[in-house]
Amino acid sequence: MSRFFYPKLAATNLKKNAQTYLPYILTCIGTVMMYYIMVFLSENEGLGKMTGGSEVQTILNLGCYVIAIFSAIFLFYTHSFLIKRRKKEFGLFNILGMEKKHIARVLAIETLYVAVISLGAGLLGGILLSKLIFMVLLKILNFEVPLGFTVSGPALTAVLFLFAGIFLLTLLNTLRQIHLAKPVELLMGGQTGEKEPKTKWLLVVMGTLSLGWGYYISLTTESPLAALNQFFFAVLLVMVGTYCLFTAGSIAVLKLLRRNKGYYYQIRHFTAVAGMMYRMKQNAVGLANICIMATAVLVMVSTTVSLYIGMEDVLRTRYPQHIMISTPVPAQQSVEGLQTSVKEVLAKHGLEGKDRLDYRYAALVGNQEGDRVITDMSNISDDSSSVREFYLIPLEDYNRLAKRRVSLGDDEILIYSSSSKYEEDTLTVLNRTLTVKERLDSFFENNLNRVSISGSYYVVVKDMEVVKAMAEAQDEENGDDPSGYRYYLGFDLEADEADILAVYQDIRTAVGNDYPGSRIESPVAVKESFFAIYGGLFFLGIFLGALFIMATVLIIYYKQVSEGYDDKARFEIMQKVGMSREEVRGSIRSQVLIVFFLPLVAAGIHIAFAFPIITKLLAVLNLTNVGLFAWCTAGTILVFALFYALVYGLTAKVYYRIVSWETF
Amino acid sequence: MTILEVNNLKKVYTTRFGGSPVQALANVSFSVEEGEYAAIMGESGSGKTTLLNILASLDKPTSGEVLLKGKGLSTIKEKEISAFRRENLGFVFQDFNLLDTFSLQDNIFLPLVLSGKSYEEMSRRLEPIARKLGIGDILAKYPYEVSGGQKQRCAVARALITKPQLILADEPTGSLDSQSAEGLLRLFKEINLEGQTLLMVTHSVKAASHAKRVLFIKDGEVFHQLYKANMSDEAMYQKISDTLTTMATGGGHHE
Repeated sequence: MSRFFYPKLAATNLKKNAQTYLPYILTCIGTVMMYYIMVFLSENEGLGKMTGGSEVQTILNLGCYVIAIFSAIFLFYTHSFLIKRRKKEFGLFNILGMEKKHIARVLAIETLYVAVISLGAGLLGGILLSKLIFMVLLKILNFEVPLGFTVSGPALTAVLFLFAGIFLLTLLNTLRQIHLAKPVELLMGGQTGEKEPKTKWLLVVMGTLSLGWGYYISLTTESPLAALNQFFFAVLLVMVGTYCLFTAGSIAVLKLLRRNKGYYYQIRHFTAVAGMMYRMKQNAVGLANICIMATAVLVMVSTTVSLYIGMEDVLRTRYPQHIMISTPVPAQQSVEGLQTSVKEVLAKHGLEGKDRLDYRYAALVGNQEGDRVITDMSNISDDSSSVREFYLIPLEDYNRLAKRRVSLGDDEILIYSSSSKYEEDTLTVLNRTLTVKERLDSFFENNLNRVSISGSYYVVVKDMEVVKAMAEAQDEENGDDPSGYRYYLGFDLEADEADILAVYQDIRTAVGNDYPGSRIESPVAVKESFFAIYGGLFFLGIFLGALFIMATVLIIYYKQVSEGYDDKARFEIMQKVGMSREEVRGSIRSQVLIVFFLPLVAAGIHIAFAFPIITKLLAVLNLTNVGLFAWCTAGTILVFALFYALVYGLTAKVYYRIVSWETF
Repeated sequence: MTILEVNNLKKVYTTRFGGSPVQALANVSFSVEEGEYAAIMGESGSGKTTLLNILASLDKPTSGEVLLKGKGLSTIKEKEISAFRRENLGFVFQDFNLLDTFSLQDNIFLPLVLSGKSYEEMSRRLEPIARKLGIGDILAKYPYEVSGGQKQRCAVARALITKPQLILADEPTGSLDSQSAEGLLRLFKEINLEGQTLLMVTHSVKAASHAKRVLFIKDGEVFHQLYKANMSDEAMYQKISDTLTTMATGGGHHE
């Protein structure tokens, strides 16, 4: 036997199975490229040195793991599909006298070919594309683009190790299957008896409840904090619901349709209902996978895109004023010193503060229980939803800013709530019972609680004595040193970003020295790191979105092809029994359309129901522009649907080529 | 009255890559009268299946014509051919060709559903047929749950339910055990006695011996034919065997 027999046979095998192997190899190349680029970016030294670059690299690093795990599962899955299709071929080899070890040898050589082609082309493509993607990333991050072209050694090694591992694993799995099977079984291939699926009502009920519960959580969750806690639980419920309803629910619906004789025995429904039943039995899990993947892509891309686009909004929400100073004022110091320092800095730059906002306050944190607030940290319950922040503000400052002339008695307060209204008549906190004199419907713009996700109360008290006393009482209770009250000062500047930044830095040095523990913020100062984080997320969202879309496409393609082979025989029979070509085509089209677009439609519904909870999550990230998010979601869905339809068009062609039969 | 008339049928297959053309049918002519039960015999490769495909309008002849009740199959438009086939022809295949996705009853209903009949009419038509074929109690089952003989009887029911002019059977006993085969042939005889015209292609001598007339095809031509008249099945069997021997050992044409 010629030395070249096995390599030749392996090559012919790949060529013969090009229809299924080509997409597989393309996917391998695609994943290799993506993984290389991701590792390249996350290891890139140039990027690491830029401001905010390390944050981006942390995000990208996460991306590397996701891609690695995903590629492994995904390539493994598609390869097992390929092998299922080829079992008959192996059976034939076996019967023609090739021993299993010979088949194993052919398979090993085939895998080697695939590995060499994928890694070669993938790495080449990855190296060429990495520069482009790097520039795109820097553009997204608003970073300057450096010159030069590098090939990353660590990335190369990482790719080689990961994919060598994956290919080896797929080969071993195939060999295991071949080894276990008998030749006759191999010849029979995938065609084992197909029983009519049973209706599993329990699963239907479970799925409906689970899905309903998931949707309910999304629709009813009010506070962002609860959203954060409940989101993953809701996602899990929806996933369970999706699987149950795709597998059991679809069958149940089809059976009900079949029971309706008037509906069922019509040309258009007859073959479709029966065909769908069979299809759903075979494909329900795959379709549920596609649905969940599509939902994930849509959520990921739409949120990251809207965060990126809405970044200016976010910055403005998080940092409403150009300069924001929040300073603890200890007992022996006063706020005048601080005001003077700021004035000096502004004078030095020849600028004037606009829309100045300043007031004194103290913050308390505690669990609200009716009209009592427990501030003792050791007693705070686990239920984070009852955690409240209380901002105590002296009447003097309130009257000044709200332009009112209210007067208060010693233990009288005004109260304003940022979320649910405070219903009680008194408020007991730190052994002091305060009487609510008025519940306020609005409060002056205060810029407190910008990051906080729990509900907060603004409590106006008689004077600074009360504020100081309560702040001290809290420090004492928690065993902290007395920190005094705080002072907030914020203003806008009519200047360009560079000047604002200079003012910000000068204030930082001046105030930071005199008042340790001050928080001095400016949107200009954090802009870069904001760009880094949101830009990084945006990039990752798009990148992973592309990967997931590629996976979805491939799954769809393989579904189509394998269904084509299964359907071929059935449609031949239908034509023999007297169905015209057009009728067969029509029937195929409607079934394929349903199978294809069911996951997309389901994903759309998921997204629609997830919308409320995701807007709350985005609020945590300071994105409150719901309109923007709605547009981004709609846009993402549209793009995805277009892409999906395109793939449908292409794979449907392959499908028809398989099913159509030539004696006509 | 003549139901089927086949005149000078010729079929040549040309392979796609310009290989030498293969002649499946050279010159076939015969006719089938109403109420007849005819069998066509021939070895593998003699052109039986090609002939049947052309009769079933699944394939087109290179030249020659097929007339069903005086109407040329080639004159029927492509669009109408399926409906024509559905309404005028019934099929029984060697491998049953039942769809696994349908219950046996739905398999039988399939041609009627395609013609847009109501459920009530379909069940009305099925009822006597099911009784005659003895499949009444398995109708709710699926093809993979019943035996080959039962499957073939359902396939016969599917062919009968449209009340076709002609039933074409392609090796109907080919996948059956001897007992089921015997049952099926008895059934064919019965429905023929009720007036149904049958044309069966087979290479089973046993099956052919049940027919009223046997046509022998060799090398794409009708080589010989036998009439049963009032011969017994056994005598017919003997006669068919003799003819086949003569054909195999290379005897010339004789009427």
